[in-house]
Amino acid sequence: MSDHERHREDVGAYLLGALNDIDRRAFERHLRGCDECREEVARLRPAADVLPSSVVQLDPPPGLKARLMAEVEGDSNVTPLGRRRPPMRLVAVAAVLLVGLVVGVGVAQLGGDENRTVVATVDKAMPRAGGSLEIAGGRATLRLHDMPALGGGRVYQTWIQHGDRMVPAMTFEVGAGGRGRVPLPDVSDADGVYVTREPRGGAQVPSEQPIVSVPL
Amino acid sequence: MAQDIRDLADEEVMQLVQRGDARAFELLYDRHGGAAYSLAYRIVGRQGPAEDVVQEALLSIWRSRLRYDQTRGSVRTWVLGIVHNRAIDGLRRMAVHDRRRETLDIADERHETGERTDVEVARREEARGVRGALETLPPEQRRALELAYFGGFTQTQIAEMLDEPVGTVKGRMRLGLEKMRRELVEGMA
Repeated sequence: MSDHERHREDVGAYLLGALNDIDRRAFERHLRGCDECREEVARLRPAADVLPSSVVQLDPPPGLKARLMAEVEGDSNVTPLGRRRPPMRLVAVAAVLLVGLVVGVGVAQLGGDENRTVVATVDKAMPRAGGSLEIAGGRATLRLHDMPALGGGRVYQTWIQHGDRMVPAMTFEVGAGGRGRVPLPDVSDADGVYVTREPRGGAQVPSEQPIVSVPL
Repeated sequence: MAQDIRDLADEEVMQLVQRGDARAFELLYDRHGGAAYSLAYRIVGRQGPAEDVVQEALLSIWRSRLRYDQTRGSVRTWVLGIVHNRAIDGLRRMAVHDRRRETLDIADERHETGERTDVEVARREEARGVRGALETLPPEQRRALELAYFGGFTQTQIAEMLDEPVGTVKGRMRLGLEKMRRELVEGMA
């Protein structure tokens, strides 16, 4: 069986999301150079696209919209990160958050090895939550309190900003009183420490605006 | 403002959402939140996790200002694709036996309540039409499609579950989509 024939058999599984990551990437590589398979994908895609509409249609629980809009309105009340921080830093963070790409190589050299505590800025949707970043001897610890416990297989994840890069760091869950204590690597040359909510196991790129921000 | 934007097409609403317009986002939810929840419920099988999926998916559109790609179909198709990905991600973190049980559960319409707007009636009619097309498939093709799309299983896992060669499962998926496509085209003719 030729490479093309083998991949052609995968068109259905690809459209249904039934290829594992390795097979999917191989198929997509093949697709880029194969008009016939691209056409076959385009021809069958509408059949896969209607599958979500085949399910029994339910009314969403009434509280769902209220919760969703509360988050949205909360976002609207909090100036988005990109507009609240110094321009350089905001552009850098926004680029990572919105595009999910690492761009640029600039690294601001701020801070030093002095001991200090920096108060964290927390999303207004969590009015009681707060915390700080303690830096001592090149080591840092993020301490948070009154953070909501996360359900749905999600965890908090810390990020360390270096110039335009958001480097993934430790994931954590909060204990009693919504408290979390997160040891971090050396942040003496970092531009900020941030927290987002991510799927268990963590992410390589933040999937939301940070809910806790400690610009340095 | 809200009354004005209700006349806009979905594509125009998405442009406002991308500019951070909360009213436009609310309208997006009003139009597609029901379909999104129904899909999430079908995949994860429980109300709480289904709500989490919808909330995460729609907030990801809002917060990251995800760009709607017209080449990938209608706004609804695009939104439901994001919900599907989130739901399957969640499902894949669950134990396999739980996933299988929930995947094979057939949701009934007991959650259907309340008054029906024209849009709601149309949504349910469309669902019945597509379900009708799905029901015309040979059972083994339908099962392969459902285990993959709603169960989040890979073709290898499906082959193991059904004790069939992977090649057979691949073929059923492809033939199933082919037949669905024919049914839909003929249905529109």
